[in-house]
Amino acid sequence: MLPALRRSLLAWLLVLAGAWAIPVAADAPPVGTLDTVGSDTMAGLMLRWGELLGRRYPGLRVQLQASGSASAPPALTAGTTLVGPMSRPMTEPEREAFVDRFGYPPRAVVVAQDALVVVVHRHNPLASLSRRQVDAIFSETRRCGAAKGIRRWQALGLSQPKGRIVLHGRNAVSGTHGLFRREALCGGSFRPEVNEHPGSAAVVAAVADDPLAIGYAGLNHLTPSVRAVPLRDAAGRLHAPDPQAVRRGAYPLARDLRLYVNQPPGEPLPPAERAFLALVLSDEGQAVVDELGFASLSASTLARQRRELGLVDDGA
Amino acid sequence: MPKSSSSPLLRRRLRQGRDRLATALITAGGIGVIAAVMAIGVFLVVEVLPLFWSGSPEAPQVDLDALWQPQTYPGLEAPVHRWQPALPDSDPGPRFGMAPLAWGTLEAAAWSLVIAVPLALGAAAHSALFMSRRLRAHLKPTLELMEALPGVVIGFLAGLVLAPWLERHLGLGLTLLLLLPPGLVVGGALWSRLPARIRRWLPLGWSALWLVPWLLLLWALARWLAPGVEGWWFGGDLRGWLAATLGLDYTNRNAIIVGMAMGFAVMPSIYALAEDALSGVPSSLSEGAQALGATRWQTLWRVVLPAAGPGVFSAVMIGAGRAVGETMIVLMASGNTALMTASPFDGLRSMAASIAIELPEAAPGGTHYRLLLLAALLLFIFTFLVNTLAEVVRTRLRRRYRRLGVSS
Amino acid sequence: MKVVAWHRSGRVRLPRGEGPWAWLAAGSVSLSLLLLALLLMLLATRGLGHFWPSDVDQVTLADGRVLAGRAVKEAPLPDDQGMERLYRTDNRDLDGDIWEWVPVPDIETLSQPRDLVVLERRRWGAFIGRLVAWLPAQGERREGAAAWDALQARLAALDRQRDAIARLREESLLPLARRLEAEGEHPRTVRALTEVQARIRALHEAMAGDVLILESVDGRRLRQPVEEVLGAMRPNAMGPGAKLVAWGDGVWRFLSEGPRAANAEGGVWPAIFGTILLVMLMSLVVTPFGVLAAVYLNEVAHQGRLTRLVRIGVRNLAGVPSIVYGVFGLGVFVYGLGGRLDQWFFEDSLPSPTFGTGGLLWASLTLALLTLPVVIVATEEGLARIPDRQREGALALGATRLEMLSRVVLPMATPAMLTGMILAVARAAGEVAPLMLVGVAKLAPQVPVDGDFPFLHLERKFMHLGYHIFDAAFHGNDVQAAMPLVYATALLLVLVILVLNLTAIFLRHHLRSRHGSLSRY
Repeated sequence: MLPALRRSLLAWLLVLAGAWAIPVAADAPPVGTLDTVGSDTMAGLMLRWGELLGRRYPGLRVQLQASGSASAPPALTAGTTLVGPMSRPMTEPEREAFVDRFGYPPRAVVVAQDALVVVVHRHNPLASLSRRQVDAIFSETRRCGAAKGIRRWQALGLSQPKGRIVLHGRNAVSGTHGLFRREALCGGSFRPEVNEHPGSAAVVAAVADDPLAIGYAGLNHLTPSVRAVPLRDAAGRLHAPDPQAVRRGAYPLARDLRLYVNQPPGEPLPPAERAFLALVLSDEGQAVVDELGFASLSASTLARQRRELGLVDDGA
Repeated sequence: MPKSSSSPLLRRRLRQGRDRLATALITAGGIGVIAAVMAIGVFLVVEVLPLFWSGSPEAPQVDLDALWQPQTYPGLEAPVHRWQPALPDSDPGPRFGMAPLAWGTLEAAAWSLVIAVPLALGAAAHSALFMSRRLRAHLKPTLELMEALPGVVIGFLAGLVLAPWLERHLGLGLTLLLLLPPGLVVGGALWSRLPARIRRWLPLGWSALWLVPWLLLLWALARWLAPGVEGWWFGGDLRGWLAATLGLDYTNRNAIIVGMAMGFAVMPSIYALAEDALSGVPSSLSEGAQALGATRWQTLWRVVLPAAGPGVFSAVMIGAGRAVGETMIVLMASGNTALMTASPFDGLRSMAASIAIELPEAAPGGTHYRLLLLAALLLFIFTFLVNTLAEVVRTRLRRRYRRLGVSS
Repeated sequence: MKVVAWHRSGRVRLPRGEGPWAWLAAGSVSLSLLLLALLLMLLATRGLGHFWPSDVDQVTLADGRVLAGRAVKEAPLPDDQGMERLYRTDNRDLDGDIWEWVPVPDIETLSQPRDLVVLERRRWGAFIGRLVAWLPAQGERREGAAAWDALQARLAALDRQRDAIARLREESLLPLARRLEAEGEHPRTVRALTEVQARIRALHEAMAGDVLILESVDGRRLRQPVEEVLGAMRPNAMGPGAKLVAWGDGVWRFLSEGPRAANAEGGVWPAIFGTILLVMLMSLVVTPFGVLAAVYLNEVAHQGRLTRLVRIGVRNLAGVPSIVYGVFGLGVFVYGLGGRLDQWFFEDSLPSPTFGTGGLLWASLTLALLTLPVVIVATEEGLARIPDRQREGALALGATRLEMLSRVVLPMATPAMLTGMILAVARAAGEVAPLMLVGVAKLAPQVPVDGDFPFLHLERKFMHLGYHIFDAAFHGNDVQAAMPLVYATALLLVLVILVLNLTAIFLRHHLRSRHGSLSRY
């Protein structure tokens, strides 16, 4: 019984790990399955890119396991995937584990940009917020230097929505929560009153229903039912969270979305990965980024990364 | 003849042997299955114990005070309860105060019982005493179907439909609350003034059905009255009035919403058990009371309820057990704010919801993981005790009924 | 409280003065029924209504702006300025958004022009506007009604071509790729593969080239490649019959297709499949074990105090919250057993887990554990209902206990077992919380059954109707856009569960009447 079990388990293994993404002769187009493991923020992007790739190379399909950024580094290190999408940079221990195994660091390819936006109800007249105010609204530690916490809309100098500010945000284990805490709260801690929703879309929906609400969410979740509040930097300049500002690097709460790739230095990528990255960094691939509401990369960034990956010839 | 006599003997041996083997297998299997089911408790205890015993580096020992007492955290003046599990590399580090979770769990259960118990007991009393047999035969399965509605559907409706609706129609909600009970009583009074001819078309035993249009009428009336009520009493803005006068700030994902949704989910199971208890009271008792001139309601109040009291109590206990462990409804409707306030208009966070969203991300063996397992253990113990209590009470009650039934 | 005489003029009369409490009690039944009916009606109307191709409004505002879309909901404006209405205007590529809030007082005119088209596209969501011209790759430009007819014909052809590509892929390409893996780079295989790829590419190229010129209602033009158009209709020009056909088609596609656009569009087929497969695997596990335990408890075990305690314990386990079972599944099955399995058999793929992460197997085992008490209790009830005479008769005729059980008792208890199993299935189909811990996936476009050996992939993650509701409602891109699908999915789930429960109720009824007749022997 046991050997039989073992055999069938092995067979599963073969199928599962079964990336028959075999490099074929240079004239044959790439075939097989490209396994990717990683971020769920990027799941939509990866799926659409996979669709496009299957259209370009009919024998190639992308399989996606979107269980969070944290699942990408172990899979890369184990070699079960060569492409790991992540919505945050690798931490030092994760990178070290990879270097220990392969002797070289993984290559990070920035494929799109995301930003966190502070949203209020669409009829809320709030003009802008400084980081200090955001901190005073959302945190109980006020590490960014506000003297007093802000609990009511009146404290922001508004006459219109009257009452306590109702706070909405993401749950504690999400990357969005962590990024907002680090960047907007200067690493302080949230008030316990912040409603913790299991998804950014739920935050937007909750804010859209309540004139007294404020919340934070990913850029791609914006709808006309809420209004994104421009952020004011120390010099008093306003930064609206639009893709142009994110691309320029002006918007403060932005983050890069990356694909981590296992590419030995000096060697070309296997054809399947190469085809995928070429697609992602092409205009067609970046159109998907815009379509899904993220910020696409500037032409110069794209060209530089294509060059670095050795994709210059088939980038177009 | 040895041949022919040994063959039946052999067959009998074989049969007996097979029988013994099968019995042994059934015994082993049965005990195994039961042990596997019971293993849940053992597993939780074993996993939770290291929290209090050994202090391995990734799961340092936790002392009970830190879990249940307010703590002083850097950056805050006064000691507070906080449940803020954060990512491992975060700077201020995680804060594990379990008190808000326990509070939230109990608060959600309490509000759902506040909604469910009157509805369920009223319904049980009505169907045990007044309802026509035919309607009752249909009502029970209908409510059973209601019980089977998945929590995720109810949670979705509560969080994304009911919560925004109530936020905009607070006045209407309050008016309904004030209008429905007197409206029903007035309906009853009107019914008894009706000429007997019409009343025969609207028999009391079917009142549960013909009251539905009456309720719709009351709802329409409430809609018409609501702006006036909100205008006269609360200056046109109930939410502002609540905040200004009572100091209650309204959050749109709150304990009341959770209570309504979960009350709806829990009501059928309370009803089923309570109805069993009420209709199980030997008819000799209630018939005796009615023969002495008591109305049916008086019979219920003075005779049936005292007899069936423990059964009704156990029904409520079972309901409480369900409400404490219900996950999806709380997760989707509550806002998941780990607060410890008594205000029904504030959010809450329950243990079950915390487990559901945090456990997959918690590192196995770490403090956060083990604390979530501790929460699961508490849920397990609580529901197990409550259910056992209910079961014991019910067994006693059944015995009592049998005695009463025999002695009459 | 006035007590009215029971008897008057010899006829039995209903008591009148039951007092206010009786009416409140009656009201609570009515209220519960009303709420239940409202809930079901809400699910049914919203869930099924989504597929109805409703009319598209063209709205002219006071400031001269024109927009077209379908009204979704209304909300009050601040300061009692009236209401505002949310229109779903689509055209994400033109507007950057698919919604528009319009203050109702600002609406000047509202019409439903018959020439408005709604295109369903693979990218950028739907388009609402007018069809200006049809520019085929070969042939001449057409406008107006001719363009519409040409588009319809082309869309039908495109559907056929898509099917052809899918067939080619399944039947030629994938086997070749598999052979390539098995036999290495044989030149013939590579050549055949290149050939098939070329054919597919040729088909793709045959699909491309045609372009539509579209115009939004406010006059912005757009060139739309026809190959990206999945469907086209003019809802304002459709009669009720045509709409019904389109509605049926929409419902069918919802049931049979996979999700698109991060679960906000498309169908739920993988989720239906996942739910059914999960529940089937679960009942395969739970029924034999549950029956075994019930037979042991009722037929074999010594009926003493301990057995009674165990019985109460098992009963109470049915009341333990499902999330606790999920925790158990995660700790014991996934991390414990799964981690061990990975160490033994899948060492080479560590640290990335194979069975050491949630998957179909662990989810169905967890649900089996969760529903075990239900099956045990139901089966035991059935066993207890069988009169002892039957057992004694069998034993008196010389049957062994095994024969008595297998020939007499178990056949008689079959309906009870079935009831237990169906109740278990009904409970399991609606459970979501434990699945979140042991292996449900947001999106697993590949169902766990396919042509790759060993065909059933127990370690794969799977989609589930209940989790799909949670995911689409909270995790998607846009809750408002996903709402109709969430309603439809919720309706589907509720229907599945209602049917299962009704079956169980019917079976139980059947069982009672059968044993009612049995005890008369």
